[in-house]
Amino acid sequence: MNRRTGQNRLKPAPAPAARTPAVRAGWNVRAWREQHRHGLLSSLQRLAARPLATSLTLAVLALALTLPVLFWLLLDNARSLGGSVDDARALSVFAKPDLDADAVQALAAQVRARSDVASVEIKTPEQGLEEFRSQSGFADALKVLHYNPLPAVLVVMPRAEGAALATELQRDPAVDLVQYDAQWRQRLNAILASGGRAALVLAVLLALAALLVTGNTVRLDIQGRREEIAVMQLLGASDGFVRRPFLYTGFWYGVLAGVLSLIVIGLVEWALAAPLAQLAASYDHRFGLHGLSLAGTLVVLAGSTALGWFGAWLTATRHIALGQPG
Amino acid sequence: MIRFDNVSKRYASGHDALSELSFEIGAGEMAFVTGHSGAGKSTLLKLVSLMERPTRGQIAVNGQSLNQTRRRGIPQVRRGIGMVFQDHRLLLERSIFDNVALPLVIAGTARDETGKRVRAALDKVGLLAREHALPLALSTGEQQRVGIARAIVAKPPLLIADEPTGNLDPQLAAEVMTLFGEFQQVGTTVLVASHDLPLIKRMGKRVLVLDHGRLIDDYRPSERGPSERGPAA
Repeated sequence: MNRRTGQNRLKPAPAPAARTPAVRAGWNVRAWREQHRHGLLSSLQRLAARPLATSLTLAVLALALTLPVLFWLLLDNARSLGGSVDDARALSVFAKPDLDADAVQALAAQVRARSDVASVEIKTPEQGLEEFRSQSGFADALKVLHYNPLPAVLVVMPRAEGAALATELQRDPAVDLVQYDAQWRQRLNAILASGGRAALVLAVLLALAALLVTGNTVRLDIQGRREEIAVMQLLGASDGFVRRPFLYTGFWYGVLAGVLSLIVIGLVEWALAAPLAQLAASYDHRFGLHGLSLAGTLVVLAGSTALGWFGAWLTATRHIALGQPG
Repeated sequence: MIRFDNVSKRYASGHDALSELSFEIGAGEMAFVTGHSGAGKSTLLKLVSLMERPTRGQIAVNGQSLNQTRRRGIPQVRRGIGMVFQDHRLLLERSIFDNVALPLVIAGTARDETGKRVRAALDKVGLLAREHALPLALSTGEQQRVGIARAIVAKPPLLIADEPTGNLDPQLAAEVMTLFGEFQQVGTTVLVASHDLPLIKRMGKRVLVLDHGRLIDDYRPSERGPSERGPAA
């Protein structure tokens, strides 16, 4: 008969009568505030009392947080690099090299007349050579050539998706080659998407590791305070009261590890800034490195705090219940 | 205040600690539970404080049926009971003040109110000057008195003590018992488990005698003159 309550432990018990009456509400708010103040401060004191153990745990947690954030930052930068070619929807239609200027004009008119084409721009072989000379750095090598090997190019801007248009234009006998940059962009996007998924998987795994680290630290803490917990329970402390300092321990681990992780990320950004700026300069500053945004910073902090709290909650709830009769 | 109706307790090991125990202790009454070791004194107190559950029978404390108290209701019941242990169970790394304040912190009492009540309780047991000391800096008798201050600081209607004088010399034991008597005089119900028969006799209070888990006697010694109060039961 008395085992009944023991089995009920697995199910959530109904709210105890003492908590419901409105008469106690005023008392409860003050008590609640007092207890949280107590929990917040006492847990911080306990962390400060063991600086070595605390900083080791924090270092492990911070690294577990830093890795996925850095990976994500890398992807985000790559994505913005990909974004700059986002508007490269144009098809480059290379005319057959033996086509003369009039034939190229005729081809352009024919293509321009199509309903799925927005605009057509002609780049003559001379223009192409000039562009190539100025951008590729092969100017000296090009001087060796006695003739211009470049064909005329039509830059065709499709109205919609250009894949079908590319296939059709390729069939034209006057066309040598159709290069559709969007395909390359799609491949890049696919690569970035798989990278994003990998970052997510990594983040989940490392978050799990952070949970286990916090949980294990809190478990050791609970074991070291068995007698204290037992005494508090005998004096009428609820599970919530006993659990609270441990939740705050987890909270502090989360907050401090988050801050530490942000510092590490900041240092990595700082260390990479100079060489990346050099690299960017060599590419005419067509891209730049961007760091963690304010929103990203807040997400890292909130995430690490939530992880610390949840890890502590999981462990504390399980271990504190063991000390009480059913 | 405490009512046992045909209460039996059998431990998982098969040992029958209490058998068909029935008694009632009225509000404001002081009573001793005595008997040889293993007679069931501690088990009786553990049932009152919900450290154990009865195998059979009904227990009511402070008007509340313990049989119907779920796990989450246990803290509420315990806050109405001041507990004194033989080994005092103080938290050794906390000061005397913090130890005594613990029940008030648990109950969420305001800080200034806590300070006042802790000092009043320490004053009552004569240890006000030692509030900043750690428990290990105190003598055994002093430690026990801190345990008593902790038990009464929240002014619970019921005080229970398991062999509170077990580790004390006769003079200290008598002092501690006198303290319990004083709490009864201000209206607290006091239940003390003890096997110190001479001391119990001198107190002149009601005595429940257990033998192998059965209640074999329930009397009031009258060596110390006429009794002021009759048992409320």
